[in-house]
Amino acid sequence: MAHRRDTIAPIIQCERAVRVDISTQLSLFSTRFLGIFIEAVSFLLLGTLVSGLIEVFIRKEDVARMMPKNPFAAIVAGSFLGFLFPVCECGVVPVTRRLYQKGLPVAVGVAFLLAAPVMNPIVLASTYAAFGFGPVLVGRYVVTLIMALAVGFLFTLSRGPQQLLSVNALSTVGGAAGSLTPAPRIALIPGLMQAIRLASGEFFDMGRYLVFGTALAAGLQTFVAQEALRSVATQPVLSVVAMASLAFLLSVCSTTDAILALSFANPVNGFTTGSIITFLSFGPMVDIKSTLMYLGVFKPKIVLYMVILPFLMSILIGVFLNLNVRF
Amino acid sequence: MRTRLWLQAALELLLGLYLLETLITGEISFYIAERFNWLAVLAGVILLVMGSVSVITLLTEAPADPQLAPRTVTLNANLMGHTHQPARWLMLVVLAIPLALGILVPARPLGASAIGQSGITTSLTVAAGDTNTFSIAPEQRNVLDWVRAFSATTNPEEFSGQPADLIGFVYRDARFDEASEFMVARFTVSCCTADAIALGVIVNTENAREWSQDAWVRVRGRFQTRQFDGKVTPVLVAESIEPTAMPDRPYLFP
Repeated sequence: MAHRRDTIAPIIQCERAVRVDISTQLSLFSTRFLGIFIEAVSFLLLGTLVSGLIEVFIRKEDVARMMPKNPFAAIVAGSFLGFLFPVCECGVVPVTRRLYQKGLPVAVGVAFLLAAPVMNPIVLASTYAAFGFGPVLVGRYVVTLIMALAVGFLFTLSRGPQQLLSVNALSTVGGAAGSLTPAPRIALIPGLMQAIRLASGEFFDMGRYLVFGTALAAGLQTFVAQEALRSVATQPVLSVVAMASLAFLLSVCSTTDAILALSFANPVNGFTTGSIITFLSFGPMVDIKSTLMYLGVFKPKIVLYMVILPFLMSILIGVFLNLNVRF
Repeated sequence: MRTRLWLQAALELLLGLYLLETLITGEISFYIAERFNWLAVLAGVILLVMGSVSVITLLTEAPADPQLAPRTVTLNANLMGHTHQPARWLMLVVLAIPLALGILVPARPLGASAIGQSGITTSLTVAAGDTNTFSIAPEQRNVLDWVRAFSATTNPEEFSGQPADLIGFVYRDARFDEASEFMVARFTVSCCTADAIALGVIVNTENAREWSQDAWVRVRGRFQTRQFDGKVTPVLVAESIEPTAMPDRPYLFP
């Protein structure tokens, strides 16, 4: 009798899982969705607020002048510049473009562009909130640094800015006329108002990606059979490719992606740690939204490099971690 | 254009109010771990400030010239919507989704129906057992403490005869004998519902049928080792089971 119960048990359980009615499913989806959204939205709001303040109060020419003269030191400094300039992936492109107009070397800007969305106190805080201090947090920062430095150094071998940058990012040609003269200092109260208005616009711009990503994560946990998901999630190679592709498609802001990743890392879904680290280091560098924005700064061929190099590197590293490291 | 700016302001204010409301009613504990409540406060306040600034801007600016500091506008003009343009209709609709879910769908914490097929655990392998839990008196331990204790040892006999007093919701699936077994279960949440994990302690009682799936109960009894699902495991033999209200904080925080 006991034997028989064992063999039929999974079938009964499947039936039970399906039988959850629509209103219960909607309520489950809503609880999971709001959990992720509420936790993530505060980091997103903080991120947009800080980038609004930077946009209004920090003069980019001061930063361009502060960078070390040695090209290698400059690339290293560029990778860490994000901690001074806490911008997430959407804010980083306009800032980089402006730095280029102020004469920042191309390779340094590339390292900054790739690393800054992660080298950011708010991103550090949200990653810590989600995963605590452990392999995911350390892995995210180490892998991001490796990739940003590697691509940055690669760009030191390349030719001059004229071959790499799109026309409106070159200081010699100049995009807007006003951007060549130092920006005037702005008074505190109007400046704050302006920063909040910018943040508010960016919140709506970025918020939609958060809503889509959250809906997907909550939907996968609610409507998709966990067994189907697990068959991908636990594969050392497939899980990494899946998470890298997902990162590209979701385009979710780097301030909030750790909270989303949490639902994939949940033992119920069981995505490999390597795939989570890939998601958290590749996603902030390259996704649909940032690729489109890169086209406003770089020539199309260069954008292709900036998409493909991090994609391949992050997959290699993620698979390597899965196969060689016990977390 | 001004309609969208007004809608944008309204959405910010409403989202901010919604967040603060969940904090006041305590509904927030259905969504995120308690130690992050301050983040929700912060988000609520920022949203209210953003909404107020949007309203002030709309009221004080001439409708003909809604653009501000031209410096920013020229800088960002061709970089995809990073200007002080009103949000597009799609963005407004999308950002209304969380608000709609929060207001229209009755708030309910994760319960028995959230546990999928292999979704509940009686032993922790990832976070591993924790011997610290042994310093807590047996009657004081919650579901999480017991599961940690079980995972910290290989000898289930160790717990035989120990008393326990547990609050949780009733969970059972096909592995359970409906007449005599159910699980007193809780979700643990360390950040938000995304990382929710269901844990449970198996309860043995003569009238298990009286207790329906998802009902909140308080179970008092003593542990004995029994066979469950082919494994020898500590089972709480109930001395008393009573219905109880759902706790203010339905999840446990590891």
